[in-house]
Amino acid sequence: MFRCCLLVTLLCFIHRGNSEEDCFPSEWLKSVSMSVKISKAGFHRDLHYRVQWSKTEQEVHALLVQKLPSGVYMDEYQLDTLRRDTGLEVLLDSKVDVEAPEYLSSGFTALVFLSGRREAVVPVHGRYHRPSDSSKRVKVELESPRLLLRSEQCERGVAVDAPCTASNHSICSWTEILELEDHAGVSLELPVGDSSMIISVCGVTVLTTVLCCVYLLRNIWKHGSF
Amino acid sequence: MDAWLCVMFSVTLLIRLALLCFGVYQDQNLRWVHCGKLLFLGSDLLSALLLFRLLVLHCSARSLASVHCSMWLFNPLTMAVSTCGNAESLLAVLIYPVTYALPVALSLVGAPSRGRGLIQNLVWCFSRDLFLEQCSSASPFTACEYGWDFLQESSLFHLTHRDIHHNFSPYFSMLYVTAEHHWSVVLVLVCFLLQLLLLLLSSLAFCCSIHTAVFVRFNKVCTSQMPFSRSYFLWYLCLLTLVLSRLTLSLRRGLGLLLWFVGQELWLSHAYYLEFEGCNSFALIWIAGLLFLLINSLILGQIISHYRPAEAQLKKTD
Repeated sequence: MFRCCLLVTLLCFIHRGNSEEDCFPSEWLKSVSMSVKISKAGFHRDLHYRVQWSKTEQEVHALLVQKLPSGVYMDEYQLDTLRRDTGLEVLLDSKVDVEAPEYLSSGFTALVFLSGRREAVVPVHGRYHRPSDSSKRVKVELESPRLLLRSEQCERGVAVDAPCTASNHSICSWTEILELEDHAGVSLELPVGDSSMIISVCGVTVLTTVLCCVYLLRNIWKHGSF
Repeated sequence: MDAWLCVMFSVTLLIRLALLCFGVYQDQNLRWVHCGKLLFLGSDLLSALLLFRLLVLHCSARSLASVHCSMWLFNPLTMAVSTCGNAESLLAVLIYPVTYALPVALSLVGAPSRGRGLIQNLVWCFSRDLFLEQCSSASPFTACEYGWDFLQESSLFHLTHRDIHHNFSPYFSMLYVTAEHHWSVVLVLVCFLLQLLLLLLSSLAFCCSIHTAVFVRFNKVCTSQMPFSRSYFLWYLCLLTLVLSRLTLSLRRGLGLLLWFVGQELWLSHAYYLEFEGCNSFALIWIAGLLFLLINSLILGQIISHYRPAEAQLKKTD
């Protein structure tokens, strides 16, 4: 069942047209804006999404399609807890290994549903990157998300197919907002280990553990009851 | 392998079954939401009861046994781990078929003898009698029933598991910087052999606590995060309570145990700056990890040298 849901999600976005005008008035579409910010420091960050539009009689649902590189991940169990506690609705398009380093991971897509609300705070975590002998930090760039809108009162105009809600039980037609104010995505910097210290780290670690082992063995042999 | 099967065959197999029975994953019925935590709190109480009975059985006064059990039961770490939803205390009550198989077998078949010499005793540990004893234990039957997947997920996992994220293990930095090198397999084997070497000698009751302490301290991974990973410290904290009554440590030497908290806090401070402030403190975490190992080894060495078995204590009072 879960695999089917994932497959449905992956099969979305099959059709891109230029029919924004069909569902929403073009004047109203010009009022739509979106902002993305990243907060906190270290390996655990929060992505702050905010979507704004002028007053309308239609009930508008927003969906953000955020592509994320292999350098970061979202924890599906944490998202599950947040969905129960705060109502945050985020759907991931694939299984995410939370322990894998960056060089053994691949990017993924997160669908952030903003039904009934216009902002969301989504936690994102940095992965461990390959140690480097030239740089102490690595920069991870997150591209700007795609914004899709849908209205209950409007069924016309197929631009993009995507799940209706985070529960992923059905597919709806969404309108992609293409002419947003141009803004760059966000980025985060993560510390990386120093690969030039490989020999000293291995040598000193093995030596210390061998010394501790010898000390304990000596004590066990001397004081143990045999 | 199917993800559900991986979870099932982990060491928390029984815990998962219990939680499913309670229906803790039924969001609709809020009455069952905290049943998992109640189960873990119940296992804390069960652990304390077992500790009390064992201590009294091994000639500890009831009042002293109560004090030692209180150190386990009212320990903030114990309470925090269980109420956060970790099952470590339940694991402490269960017997690990692999890690405790050796001390159990040695006690049943006959412990190593000082007269044989160290090398001969190590060779004896792989003797025919011991092999036959292991064949008659539950492990082979369980393995036959559930196959290689069971062995892999329940026991061999700890042999091969590597977590390159910062943790208390002294091997963390070494495994992180060598993760992509083919020869890191040799280092993993060295880690395991050092761990195995220390696990081979000792008597049973004392052994399980020291056994677990050595297993955890020399493991390739040692975390205490909650609730998303294991809290390895609780594995030996519970059993260490059993031997406290038989230690002849003086107050001055006992105060040296505070070094453990100093070492832990030193590591935690650098790990905090790495994880939550983004500071590049990998080298400092490496040094703090090695220092923590030295402190733990010193404490373990003191415990080993000041432990007196029940028979020795009885003879002394006669």
